[in-house]
Amino acid sequence: MTAAAVRPLPITGHASVHALGGTRAEILAALAAGRTGLAPHDGLFPVQTVTGAVRTELPQLPAPLAPWSTRVSRMAALLVQQLDAPLARARARWRSERIAVLLGTSTAGAETTERAYRTYVERGALPAEFDFRRQHTYGAVLHVVSSLAGVRGPAWMVSTACTSSAKPFASAQRLIAAGVIDAAIVGGIDTLCSMTLLGFQSLGALDRNACRPFGAGRAGINLGEGGALALLERDGEAPVLLAGVGESSDAYHISAPHPEGRGALDAMAAALAQAGCRAQDVDHINAHGTGTRLNDVAEAVAIGALFGGDVPVVSTKGFTGHTLGAAGAIEVAFAAHAIEEGWIPASLGAAPLDPQVTIRVPTAVTRAPFRRVLSNSFAFGGNNVSVLLRAP
Amino acid sequence: MSGTARTAGHGEDPARAPGTGGGGRGARGASVASPLIAVTGLGLWIAGCPSAAAWVAGTRDPEVIRPRGLALDRVNRRRASLVGRALADVAAQAMEAARADPATIATVIGSSLGEAATMIGLLEQMWRTRTPMSPAAFTMSVHNAASGLISISNGNRGFTTSLAADDDTPAAALLEAAGLVAATGRPVLVACADEAAPVDLVPDDQRFDLLAAAVVLAPGALDAGEVLGASDTRGARAATDVREPVAAAAGACRAQLRLLLGREPDVAVADLPPALARNPQAGLLDLVAAVLRGASGLVRLDRGGGAGWCAEIRTR
Repeated sequence: MTAAAVRPLPITGHASVHALGGTRAEILAALAAGRTGLAPHDGLFPVQTVTGAVRTELPQLPAPLAPWSTRVSRMAALLVQQLDAPLARARARWRSERIAVLLGTSTAGAETTERAYRTYVERGALPAEFDFRRQHTYGAVLHVVSSLAGVRGPAWMVSTACTSSAKPFASAQRLIAAGVIDAAIVGGIDTLCSMTLLGFQSLGALDRNACRPFGAGRAGINLGEGGALALLERDGEAPVLLAGVGESSDAYHISAPHPEGRGALDAMAAALAQAGCRAQDVDHINAHGTGTRLNDVAEAVAIGALFGGDVPVVSTKGFTGHTLGAAGAIEVAFAAHAIEEGWIPASLGAAPLDPQVTIRVPTAVTRAPFRRVLSNSFAFGGNNVSVLLRAP
Repeated sequence: MSGTARTAGHGEDPARAPGTGGGGRGARGASVASPLIAVTGLGLWIAGCPSAAAWVAGTRDPEVIRPRGLALDRVNRRRASLVGRALADVAAQAMEAARADPATIATVIGSSLGEAATMIGLLEQMWRTRTPMSPAAFTMSVHNAASGLISISNGNRGFTTSLAADDDTPAAALLEAAGLVAATGRPVLVACADEAAPVDLVPDDQRFDLLAAAVVLAPGALDAGEVLGASDTRGARAATDVREPVAAAAGACRAQLRLLLGREPDVAVADLPPALARNPQAGLLDLVAAVLRGASGLVRLDRGGGAGWCAEIRTR
């Protein structure tokens, strides 16, 4: 939807944290070396899999925000710290009420709540420090980000499972175009939870070993955690622009993709239309590429139908695991790296390629000028988002 | 048993950004204002009251206990939680009133807590019964479960989203929809619901009953001369000037609406039973009732726990 071409918006800053690290240098070094962040899972339940845990030290929240302190909020705080310079410039340009906080998550504070609930079951009372409103809810992270960023604009959390943090890019684009806001902090955060691990285990969707998106022997996903925030502004100079966002639904099945990637194709086509460019103009696609048999084939079919077989398609989930609600924003950041750095990483685990996958999936670093890069995110509920970035 | 849990709105903490009162704002006193949009359809479900018209008329049916989710196909109705069925019911009411096409309309679902009851069920499986997690329950525990079920049942391959913002959830959903209306020039369905707060996790005085409400927003306006913004609205009153219910034709503009942040939020709110007033969607109930009653003025979209978003409405 919103297929009419829109004015590109500058991404004046972005920051990420995930299994590869919490700084741009750490992340780029791991990507360049083809070094995964996945490691055997060590959690509350003995789930046989590997996960992409964040090992970066997270900051404590300042004293007034201490009641909101959870792993997800501290991760958010780290990202806000990293955006400090562009945020300061944005606050100097725009009124704080016209800087929005539009984020996405699938788990919000569930990691804290599931620990509290264990105490409740075992001891008959919730932990004294547990505060549902300040630690579990979707609004809790919004409050922490808004407070730390010093902004007072509209704030909401999209929760559409694995597209959660890609959709805010479109929300911000619309609100800026409508003149409601001038800038927005967009992105999202998710933390590893026992609930999601057990849930995906129950679906038979977890690979016991490192995931192999598009690979012949792939056996499922690995979960990860992390987040990414980006600053979008009405105008300004930036190395990367948000060119278009396409959003669609499969209207097919609550947890299985349309086998031919019908909704995925719709989303990618809508992103192109909004950016006013053609499929052959796209230099690289960061795929959703989870490592499940059905998803990867459906996505490859959709990409092949729209782009043919030449554009290099990489899944970065072999590096980070599937960070669920954070995946959209984290992978938009990877797409931005491709434009900024002029190279893309190997698609870890793709070799040998599944014969059913007839698109080009590089298994080594590829260097080239990447001027237009698409990032795909697909989710439970048949929810699809494609975000197209371009160089200025 | 949940007495050790503490809950409070984010607005109560000293670190929060300064309040929204005071000067230094743009036209008509608002820091942020949405584009003008039309309201063309309404929906409501509360126990005992299965429609907005019944609510405004004051009629109650004690046999209305659970939302039925009749707008969902049979397979997806079985999957749907109470909150999912309520969302489907109010969405269908609003779309029918607006003569909107369920197969194409963009849909914004709002819920402060989402599928909280399903989540509690998963926590029970994890920690109390120590039984394998139900894959079906896990699949339906995502916040966008209802969004997906409605999309699948209606064969709608277009836009759908699902969002949360605690007590600002109604305002957030309406603002997301306003952005969509402005961008596409097409109608947008907003359906919001929250079910009874999880009893094991929040104190008694924070709990609330199931409430679902919906509106269809669209481009368009009232007759010329009635357009908001034609005059300074700093003196706009609360939308308590009740006239006869509007007998608007289906699909017609029932009201013109604009969302405002930064107005003094001292807007009178209608009396509601406490278990409804505590529901994060109470502000949307107030908005639906005000539009149906033909009231004009400001409707506060939270009940004290949010940022102070108001909807400025004008009806025929």
